[in-house]
Formats: sequence, C-alpha cells, structure tokens
Amino acid sequence: MKLSGSLLTRIAVLVVVVVFFQIGVVSEVPVFAVTVDLSPLVVAFVGLLCGSTIGAATGFVVGLLVDLALVQTLGVTSLIFTLIGYWCGRLRELRDPQATLTPLLVGAAAAAAAAVGYSLVEFMLGVDAPVSLELLRQIVLGVVVDTIVALPMWAIVRRTLEPGLPDDPRRRRRRAYTTGGLSPLSRA
Amino acid sequence: MYDKTVRRRRAVLALLVVLSLILLTAYFGESADGGLHSVQRGFLTVVSPIQEGANKALKPVRDLFSWFGDTLHAKSQLAEVRKQNDILRKEAIAERADEHGYHELLALYHLDQLSLNSYRPVTATVVGKSPNIWYSTVWIDKGTSSGVHDNDPVVNEEGLVGKVALAASDAAVVDLITDSEVGVSARINGTNATGVVQPKVGDLNDLVLQYLPANTSISRGENVVTSGTVASPDDSLYPPGIPIGQVTSLNEESGYKSVNVHPLADLHNLDVVQVLTYTQGGMAARLTSLGASLPSARQTQAETTAGGESGQLASSTTGTGE
Repeated sequence: MKLSGSLLTRIAVLVVVVVFFQIGVVSEVPVFAVTVDLSPLVVAFVGLLCGSTIGAATGFVVGLLVDLALVQTLGVTSLIFTLIGYWCGRLRELRDPQATLTPLLVGAAAAAAAAVGYSLVEFMLGVDAPVSLELLRQIVLGVVVDTIVALPMWAIVRRTLEPGLPDDPRRRRRRAYTTGGLSPLSRA
Repeated sequence: MYDKTVRRRRAVLALLVVLSLILLTAYFGESADGGLHSVQRGFLTVVSPIQEGANKALKPVRDLFSWFGDTLHAKSQLAEVRKQNDILRKEAIAERADEHGYHELLALYHLDQLSLNSYRPVTATVVGKSPNIWYSTVWIDKGTSSGVHDNDPVVNEEGLVGKVALAASDAAVVDLITDSEVGVSARINGTNATGVVQPKVGDLNDLVLQYLPANTSISRGENVVTSGTVASPDDSLYPPGIPIGQVTSLNEESGYKSVNVHPLADLHNLDVVQVLTYTQGGMAARLTSLGASLPSARQTQAETTAGGESGQLASSTTGTGE
C-alpha cells in the first residue's frame, strides 16, 4: 500500500495522541489492578489496515516514542512493536480476515505478544530483582483487559485512518455486494 | 514487480529490527551521561509542557474513573485501618517519650546533619505513568530548574516512593521502589539489621528485604525504614528513617534472612510527591558524590573474594559525617 500524505498525517496524529493519552490518563486508572496498554493495539490495528511495511514502521515509531517518554531502555519497545505491526500487516496481506471478531483476536494476540516479548527481552538483558509468580497473573489480566478495549480501539483507529486509505478494489467489491449491487438476492 | 515489493517489505523489516537492536545495545552499554540518555533528557524537556497540559485537561476524566476504584478499595480497607490506628496510637504515645532523648543524642553527635534537614523538599505533581509491568516509572512536573537532580529520593506523606531516574529542565522521570532496577538499603526499624529492599517483579504490592543477618529477630507488622546508606554507585542516598513498608511474612534462607514487605506508599494512586533535593556543596551533596565514587557491589564482592579488604567500603557512608 502506498503511503499518501493524508494517511501519514493521520497515522502521526493518532500515534502521538494515543501515546500521550496512554501515559497521562489511561496508565493512571488501573482496571482489575492492571493497566490497559493501548500502544500495542494501535500498532496492530494500523498494520491490519495499512499492511506490513506501514505497520512495522508505525511499530518502530510508537516504540521509540514510548521508550523516550518513559526513559525505558531504548530499542526494546521498538523491536517488539515493529514485529507486532509487521505480523498484523502480513495477516491482512495474506488472509484479509473480515470476521467481526478479527480485531478482538488480533488485539489479544498483540497484547500477549507485547507482554511476553517484554518479559523475554528483560530476562535476556538480566533481571537483578526477584521475579514473582504474580507476573504471570499480571500478564494474563493485562491481555484480558486489552482485549476488552480492543473493539472500541479498532473503531477509533479505523475511523481515523479510513478516509486516508486508498480505495481497495476488494473493499469496494464487498461494499457493492453488501449494499445490494452485486447480491444475488437483489437481482432476484 | 511482485519480487520488488517483497524485497522492499523485507528490507524495511530488517532495517527496523537492526535499528532497534543497535539502539538497545548502545543504550544498554552507555553510562547515564551518554548520548542516548541525553536524547531522552531532551525529549523529556520538549514534551513535558504538552504532557502537563494534557494531564490538567484530562484530570476530571481520570478522577472520575479513579473515584469508583477508590470507593470500593476504601470500603474493603476500613476495618483493617481502624485496627492499625489503635496500634499506632499506642506506639505514638510510647515513642513521644523517647523522642526527647533521641534528639539530644543526635545533636550531641551532630548526626542530625544527615537527616531531612540537609534536604530541600520540592513538591511535584505526578503527570504520567508507565503502563509496563517491567518499568514502574512516573512523570513529575518539576525538574532541574526547581533543583531536582538525578538520583534524588522521592517521598510522599506515606513513605518512600522512589528516586529520580532522569531530570530534564521542567520535568523528571521517577523510578518507583517497585521498579525492577531499584534497590534500597534499609533496616528493620529499631534494630541495626540492614539489608536491601528490592521489588518482586510483577507484584506491585510486595517488596522483599533481603540479606538480613540470620540471627535477626523480626516479627510481622514491624516497620522497614531506609538505613541512610548506599548499596551501589547508582543508588540514591536516601536519608535514614524514611518509612518504606511493613513486614508481612518471613523467609528463612541459607546464610541470611529475608522478609516480604508491603509498601506503605500507595504507588497505584500517586498524585503529589516530594523530591528531596540538596544544595550543591551541602552535606547531602557531598555524601551523594562520595557514594557515587564507591566501587560497585559486584566489583567489591569480587575483590573481597580475591582476598582484598576493600569489601568493607561497601554500604558505608553514614559514618563519614563531619
């Protein structure tokens, strides 16, 4: 997919707003004692809408912003989010899933991949502090909470980016079909 | 055409992954004054006014959501807090009697110079928080222009909160005591048994005080306070006596004892904190720079194992007061 100026602006605004909203508001409101993380969801959904290259690039930028803003080890979040954005983009390019629950499943997978990815990288870098089994519970609860917000987040991302997306022939065909133009029922 | 698209896609992925790995390696290997840390400091300086403004604008939304959670949490804690209040009242009466003598002794040995009097508290508002389990960090709206430095201790009305990880001109990032990279030298209040408080990664309501002497007598409910020493050059010189938490359970391990500690500060709902800053050239500043010049814990351990006696240097700054 070609990256138009309009799409680039929309992705940039979305990314900046989500990262600052996450740090300033969402992180300070614990749900079931865990924090909702919107960043992997946004990266996954941009990949799902725009393809693997744009997904990977968005993942890298979101990761860099998060690491810079929160003074985390630079590169960790970028690496994980790049892979999440790429895989979600490939999912669209290879399967183009249209089920209503696709964003829910993709959101859950992205949240799980982010949580497990962080843990793996941190363990590889070396952890001085003891690790509690509670970490597993936190990861599972985090994925559940992120999955709950996946659908509204998908709606926001799609609404923001759709006007900037090029008209996809497959999408146009589906729209024609569902609105009656190509439906066998309407012809009957 | 298809091959070109595939090659381009793979090239972009490879480039971004390699860039991430280069960043990670460079950042991990450099000191706190390195280039990438400076970039982070610069970024913090640029975006802190935006974050502060957004935080103020969206505070009503956050407060509304927090109110529901706080109400439920407060109800469940009421009975426990009443019981604790009775115990604390009795303790306060007993301790008031000892207070007078304690101050006389402090003045006699000039040790009061090491207490909070050497520090200038700067009140700051928490304007952001990390959503990551591995990084327990918050943003505050005060920075170097208010006298805040890297490694300054951060407290609130309940107890120790953490230390400043990185200070920009008008904002700073604070590592909470539940962050996986923070360790605080601490002791059981009323004893000389010192150890290191570390977080249990993944559990935000539990800390562990490790490396206590095996013969230390400890019971549940005892308070853990900062010892006023440093455990490593990267550590903060937390003033002695700042409450950290209460002992919840004891663990016997070979050679030493460790206890689980519940933090006193409510780290989930931080709103206002105080950074204990010091003036350049003051006692606290001198001791902090002395702490920074100590060999690292690992280095000291290695030297001690090799037969050197430099191990005695570790964790000993309070005794150097003038």
